[in-house]
Amino acid sequence: MAETKWRALDHCDDHKNDADVDQENTQKQITKQESNEWIIVRDSEGVEVTTTDTQVALNLQLGIQAAIVAVISITIGDNDQGNNVAQDLKQFMKTKQSNRQKTIIEGSKHVKVKTTDTDIAVNIQALLQILVAIVARLDVL
Amino acid sequence: MSENPKAIPNKVVDLLVSEVLRKNNVNIDSAKSNLNDEQKKAIKDLVEELKTQVDSFVNQSPDKKE
Repeated sequence: MAETKWRALDHCDDHKNDADVDQENTQKQITKQESNEWIIVRDSEGVEVTTTDTQVALNLQLGIQAAIVAVISITIGDNDQGNNVAQDLKQFMKTKQSNRQKTIIEGSKHVKVKTTDTDIAVNIQALLQILVAIVARLDVL
Repeated sequence: MSENPKAIPNKVVDLLVSEVLRKNNVNIDSAKSNLNDEQKKAIKDLVEELKTQVDSFVNQSPDKKE
């Protein structure tokens, strides 16, 4: 007799449990991921996924970059000198953004998954440090 | 997630900013003089606001999805 692969949801076939509710929740979690982070849950139940909110991070990053440009524009001016300063600082801000993580959970029960986009957290902190350093130099803080 | 080390040491960032300003012959005193009190306050508030947002992002992240 051929060996049958163990499947976490086999027991759902008896219609006597509420496992389908768990699966419903999992689906909802998956659709909320950013496209560059894949979390695939297959044939599993009781999977809890926790992830970084990339959109919040990107918005925050744009906000800080805009603040740096604004401060430079006001203090140094919207001229070649100001643009060059902004350009030079941008060299340091230009770090790779994409968070390519793929997580596949298959044939599992009661798994907790936590993914962290460390790059983006570090990036945001670095950008903020640059802004603070500029502002401190201008005696604003 | 309570520990929150700086991404880059502050001294490195200070050095970097100084170097960029020096390289572009920026006169800090004249740059300072371009800021009036109102603008200073606006920038200060903005930076504080961004700091708060970054802190809460770094400390709460990863956020649990619904």
